[in-house]
Amino acid sequence: MTTTNSSAATASKNPLHIPSPFRADEPDMTPEQKEQQYVHDVYQVIAPHFSATRYKPWPVVEEFLKDMPAGFVGADIGCGNGKYIGVNPKLFVVGSDRSSNLIDICGERGHEAMVCDGLALPYRPEFFDFAISIAVIHHFISPERRVAAIEEMLRVVRVGGRILIFVWALEQTGKRDFDKNVQDVFVPWAMPKKAEPRRDRTRNTAQEGRRRDRVNATSRSGEASLSGSMDQLSIQDGQPSTLSTSNISAPVSMQPALSMSSSSPSSSASAAALAAAEPVSVSASSSLTNADALLTTQESRAENMGQTTAAPVFNRYYHLFHKGELEELVTRTKRAKIVQTGYDRDNWWCIVEKTSHK
Amino acid sequence: MRLITHNMLQCHVKGCNANNFPLELQEVVLEQEEAELNEDFLRNMLGKLEYEALVATCLKLDINDLPATLPADAAYNDEFLQILHRVILETHIKSGKMICPNCQHIYNVRDGIPNMLLAEHEV
Repeated sequence: MTTTNSSAATASKNPLHIPSPFRADEPDMTPEQKEQQYVHDVYQVIAPHFSATRYKPWPVVEEFLKDMPAGFVGADIGCGNGKYIGVNPKLFVVGSDRSSNLIDICGERGHEAMVCDGLALPYRPEFFDFAISIAVIHHFISPERRVAAIEEMLRVVRVGGRILIFVWALEQTGKRDFDKNVQDVFVPWAMPKKAEPRRDRTRNTAQEGRRRDRVNATSRSGEASLSGSMDQLSIQDGQPSTLSTSNISAPVSMQPALSMSSSSPSSSASAAALAAAEPVSVSASSSLTNADALLTTQESRAENMGQTTAAPVFNRYYHLFHKGELEELVTRTKRAKIVQTGYDRDNWWCIVEKTSHK
Repeated sequence: MRLITHNMLQCHVKGCNANNFPLELQEVVLEQEEAELNEDFLRNMLGKLEYEALVATCLKLDINDLPATLPADAAYNDEFLQILHRVILETHIKSGKMICPNCQHIYNVRDGIPNMLLAEHEV
């Protein structure tokens, strides 16, 4: 049912928009380490660009929020840039996300939001009238952790309260072309070469003078290098990063954005190059975890696009849900009923109602 | 973060299940910011608020406007709702620390954003 193995060679032939089977570089990694590396670290880095592409509310979510009685209090778990928080101004919605960079964007927009983990919500039990989880629990690495995420939402919602959950569908037929036999996948996120996220432009300007460490990195194959677009990126993170990495050990000491310049091809592997080069400039307590997985220069660029340099590509872990799978997870909690289900925009969704306290 | 949010937060360190609310505020910088009054929201909050904790927290922040006990007619007491609105929705914690009264875990608030992430061993 689930395939998690594939040779690197096979994966490397995928064009930019095609996911590859998920494969952890270190098989012994804990689920937490995998999610840190293949989800949290990625969103932290792609946050500005990700946010710039996330502005239009999905109709099902919008309707769910607009149908809520005035004055209801809701939690948006995994709120990203907060695009749903203000959809219905008659509600009070608190957003939360693992990515402090995405939560910073919520803060700038005046939304109520905090940094926290979906498996350990900091809220009093049964506080909320409703919750939403939009495109979030497909990032948890095991069925147990997906159920735990649903249970944690049920904990903070009152009896009778509803939760709207969206997850990516295995059966989708949009622009992604998924192998219907592979549920656990890497989905690439390509940074545009000219990404100019609003907030980071400001930040980088202020830090321009201090940015002097340039890291030359090349792809695994050594055929192409990272483009200068990484200059736009900033890893700025106050959250604990617990993953010690085998590939990247450079001390993390400087505030400036992670910056990598275009360079002539070299033969070294990407992560090794990063580790061996000048100190990688990543701020504070966050370490750049295993850049080998975090950042793969995708094969499609140079060869397929006829360009000499390429946008950096980040692989995010996804579990693709087959029809009925989300409902099955909800049923396992034994304290919720399914009110409505559907398929929309490449996602399975369902509305869950909490039926009992425990 | 608004004061209402402080009232919904509890410590969630693994095993810290008692006396973990409310988080004690320290070194707090406050800011007032006007917001539209939403009576439906305020009435809904009356059933959710830990009122005693709210009053105690406010007193430590030198906010003395709230009555010590929730008025019996709170839901339709315009004057009270106005005060409640100002306190829980218009009063923002811009920075500070929130400390668990039980396990002493410190959660920081920076730029108005609480960081409630725990280290792996605390989850």
